[in-house]
Order: sequence, then C-alpha cells, then structure tokens
Amino acid sequence: MSIEIEAFTRVEGNGGAEIIIENGEVKDVKVKIFEGPRFFELLTLGRHYWDVPDLEARICAICYLSHSVASVLGIERAFGVEVPEEIMLLRELGLLGELIESHALHLYLLVAPDLFGYADAIRMASKHGEIVKEGLTIKAFGNYIREVIGGREIHGINVKPGGFGRYPTIEELERMEMQSEALLKLARRAVGIFANQEYLGAKAEHYVAVNGYLYGDELIADDGEHFDYFKCIEEKTLPYSFAKQSRYKGEVFMVGALPRVILKYEMLTPMARHLYEEYKEKLAQGYVSLNNLAQAIELVYALERTKEIARALLDKGFEGENVPIEPKEGEGIGYVEAPRGVLVHHYRIDEKGNIAYSNIITPTAFNHAIMELSLYEEAKKRYGSSDEMTFLQKLEETVRAFDPCISCSVHVVRL
Amino acid sequence: MMLKLGVFELTDCGGCALNILFLYEKLFDLLEFYEIKEFHMASSIKEHDTLDVAIVTGSVSTQRDLNLLHYARNHSKYLIALGTCATHGDVQASVEGKIREKLEKVYGTRANPMKALDSTPIVQHVAVDYALPGCPYDKDEIYQVLMNLAKGVEPPTKDYPVCVECKLNEYECVLVKRGIPCLGPITLGGCNAVCIKSQLGCIGCRGPLPKEANPASEFEILKELGYDEEYIRRKFKTFARGELRW
Repeated sequence: MSIEIEAFTRVEGNGGAEIIIENGEVKDVKVKIFEGPRFFELLTLGRHYWDVPDLEARICAICYLSHSVASVLGIERAFGVEVPEEIMLLRELGLLGELIESHALHLYLLVAPDLFGYADAIRMASKHGEIVKEGLTIKAFGNYIREVIGGREIHGINVKPGGFGRYPTIEELERMEMQSEALLKLARRAVGIFANQEYLGAKAEHYVAVNGYLYGDELIADDGEHFDYFKCIEEKTLPYSFAKQSRYKGEVFMVGALPRVILKYEMLTPMARHLYEEYKEKLAQGYVSLNNLAQAIELVYALERTKEIARALLDKGFEGENVPIEPKEGEGIGYVEAPRGVLVHHYRIDEKGNIAYSNIITPTAFNHAIMELSLYEEAKKRYGSSDEMTFLQKLEETVRAFDPCISCSVHVVRL
Repeated sequence: MMLKLGVFELTDCGGCALNILFLYEKLFDLLEFYEIKEFHMASSIKEHDTLDVAIVTGSVSTQRDLNLLHYARNHSKYLIALGTCATHGDVQASVEGKIREKLEKVYGTRANPMKALDSTPIVQHVAVDYALPGCPYDKDEIYQVLMNLAKGVEPPTKDYPVCVECKLNEYECVLVKRGIPCLGPITLGGCNAVCIKSQLGCIGCRGPLPKEANPASEFEILKELGYDEEYIRRKFKTFARGELRW
C-alpha cells in the first residue's frame, strides 16, 4: 500500500509525495515534482545574450534576481568582461534584498504557522498578529531593494550584462541603510523563534555552496573540494518527476542556508557570526529542519550587510556607467546563492552574441535527493507511532524546511 | 456575506500567486470580504466547495493542470485568468517544437509518464470572466477587480498601449531617441511603463494590445534600426506566441 501527499502546501509550485508501505514498514518515498516542464534552456537557445537575463528571470518569482544575476555573470564570463567593484556591490545588494524577501516569506508566512499550530499565516494573525506583521515588514523591505536594483518587485529587467538600466539614487541608498538598521532588532527576534523547532528529516552526507557568500566563481564542499559543478555533480532523470536528482561524488548532499552558514561562517557579519557561534552546536546536528534557524541567522546577516554596502557606496560614490560589451565566442558559468541554495547558469555563446548552449541547475533540483531521503527517514521514524494527520503534517514540515521552489526545478537540461 | 475565493496555480513561476501576498495590508482589506478556500502557496486549508471567485494562474502544461482548470471552472461563479501565462501562455508557450521532442531534448526520453502537454493559455480551454495579463500583473489591478466584484461593480478593462503610461510619466522614448527595441507601442498598458523607467525597452510581458495594434509598423521600425527579422520575430512571440502577426 501507499500513502499519498497529494500536493505540498505552503510551498512554491506543485509537487507531492508517495510513501510506500510494505509489511507494515516504510519501504520507499518518492518526491513527485509534477509541476509542468518549462523548457527554459530551449527557450534561450539562439537568443541574443542581451535579452537572456530577462527571460531567465521568469524561471522563478521568489528569486528572479538570483536568476538575472547568475545569468549576467555567466554571460560576462563568456565574454571575459570584468565590471568595476561598485557594480558587483550593487548586484550583491539586490541579492541581499532577495534573501531578505524570500527568507521572511518562508519563515514568517510559511513555517511559523507550523510552530504556532495554524493552517496559515492569515489564521495565525488573529492571535499572533505582531509576528506576522513583523514578517511582512521585513519582506516588504526586501522587495523595496529588489524594486530599486532589479526594476520591480517581480521580474524586473534592470540587471543587465555590463551593469544596469537605471542606477539607484542617493536617497534610495540612504533609505536602505536606515531601514536595514531599524529591522535588525526584528530579525534577531526571529532567530529566537526558529531556534526551537524540532529536528526533522535526514542529515546530508555533504554540504555544497558557492565560494563567495552570495556569488562566486566556483563551488565548495565540506570535504574541502573546490570545483566546477559538472566535475563532481551527476544528474539523473526519474520516471515520476519533472525535476532531476543529483549526487555529489555519488552521495546525497544539501544546498541552502544551513550549508552556507556552516561552510562560510567566517564571512558572516559581526552580529550574524555571534548568533552562529551561539547556535553552532545545534546547527552541527545537521538535520535539515535546522535550515530554518540558519535562514533566520542569514536574515540578520543580510540586514547587516545591506547596511554595510549602502554606506560603502554612499561614501565612495559611484559612476553609474555600464561596461561596454563586444560579443565574441565564449563560455561562462554564473554561480549564485539563491535564497534556497546554489544556482548555476552555464552558457556557450557564438560570435554573434547568440546563446548556443545553456544549462541551468536550480537549488531545488540539487536538493531533490536529500528531500526524498529526509521524507523517507521521517516517515520511517513516525509510521505507526502517530495518527495519520500528524504523520502527514510532519512530513510536510520536513519538505517545507528546504523552502522548495518547485517551479524552478523543472527544466534542467544538458544539451 | 463573505465571498468564497480559491487561488489555483497551474504551471508557472509562482509569481502570480506570490504577487497576491505582496498586497500586504491590502490583502487584509480583501479578507474583510473574502474567505480563502484554496490557495496552496499560502495555506494548508483546502475545502472542496463552490466558489464565488476562482483565480487561476499559470499555463496548461500537464494533464493535471487541465483537470485542475476544469475543476476551478466548474466550481466557480467568476473565473479570473491572472497573469500572462493564463492569458497568453507566457514564455513557456513560446518554446517551439512538439512536447515529445522537447522531452527528449531535456530528459533524454520521448516517454511521457507525467503527461506533459504543449503549453497553452487557459483562455484556450475554458471561458473566463476576466483576463488580467502581466508578467507579473500589476497587483493593484487584481485588488481593484476583487474589490469591485465584492461590491457588485463591473470591473473596468484597459485597452491602451504602454506608450500612454510612458508619456504620462514623461519618460524619454527609448525607441525613437535611443534606438532600443521597445514593444511599448504594441503592448497592452497597465504596468505604469516600469521597464522604460529603467531606461530599457518594453519586452511585451503584458501581451499585445487587444485592438488597434500595428505590429507590421513596429516590425518595419525595428528592421530599419538594424535588427534582423528572426530577432524581431522571437521578440514578438516571447509572451504572446503567434498572436502578433505582421
């Protein structure tokens, strides 16, 4: 027999799970990603490089800017273009805005109802209105940054190869500096709330992240490896899912906030690092539900870093000029940490500037295997010892910890 | 009396459902009039019930999407197709080739156990009461439509190009002044010319004007600016499939 989770709720996109029971024991779990395929790599083939980041942004609404930036980095590397520090700082600012928006949405609106025992944040708001409101305030600030840097809250087209369409004004940067300072107190409170979540799911055999905190030029793993994604990660297709599964050196691995804070704690800002030290032993337990605590610590990081960058740009001033690009044949990979983990955009471009090869791997696709393993372990632990409602509820909570973004995961291709 | 609302997501980027949450305080205003019966991104509640309003986002890209769409249509008084995926198919519908060929290129097999379909807008499958395009749509527009419906007022429709809002904002014309390919003249307005604010050309994400668009003339202008025909053809169909002809 089998138990079906028809559709995961409070997650982005459409997916479910099948728990297969044999002789009164959990035998297997299949995570079924049935969101329709969207064929983004096919969409970008033959397209002029300038238009590609705008198309790729449409892969995902929650992290459109991560896609734009990864796309732009891949294109610039293919052409051998270097942009000045100020442009990289502005891009990082956009990525921080996205981290703030996405983590706040996930923690306050999607996960918090589990901790407080509600079906959603709207129902939770009647008793815990202040927490929901704090979450919405932080989220709105993240969106403000996305709107300024990215061009609009969702699917802006302002992030371009070589720079930006429009550069932010002094007033906008000042507002970012002030508001991030003001919101830090709320984010610190979030760390306390999410530190109490129970341990759910599996422990990953390996953690993988990008070498810089939010963007970089290669991947790193907990075994000390520095690598390009195609060297150590293998993907395979499944008959029951539009998302592929991947393994790192043949083993199940995890990407996301938990791997980031553990692998890159030295890059954290002072208050975030202090919080990391405080919860270090807990985080080292490695259960995937600790991803939520790691996200709360990252909210603090993102607000501190936003303040730092806004101030640095205000002090230093910036030109607001794009680097001119001459199309030529080339190949490049953009590595970005989307809020839910490693995002890869890999292109080959022809001499006219059109895309000749395109491969995109999203965090949810990287996490697909560990997600399935987590459901398996959680189901094995709980089957028979709790009523079916609690059983299914805990499995959903386990999936939610990954902050899965299912829409993103369903178009992985190697052409 | 509270109205019953369902939000159904077919295949898309999640943005159209997300944008409803981006209404912030206005979302709570709406909840004075609406009771949410189905909204899987935001709530674990799912009540099988007859709805007053069903919002459907995304395009039909699987058999499951199609079944869900028919369910929403058969269980609602008003059905709103929300976002360009729902109204025009959006980017996934512009990917050329038959589904089996595409599956083979991406997954290495022509087998189709998950019942994927060639992506199509929902308006092609069921009658809709209101179609609000945009990738993403303007969130105030859905707020207004829901408020109007709650108060029994017929929501107004927009029929002017992006250029109108560009002029109202006094932005410099990027097409005429800078030779940047801008689809503003043939694209339905309602976004407040947001991309031209960034001094970039309109990419056509709200789909073509329902009437009086002149894609042939736009095509000629872009050709004169030196863009090749294939480039223009692709640009035209990105959000609207084959709708813009010249």
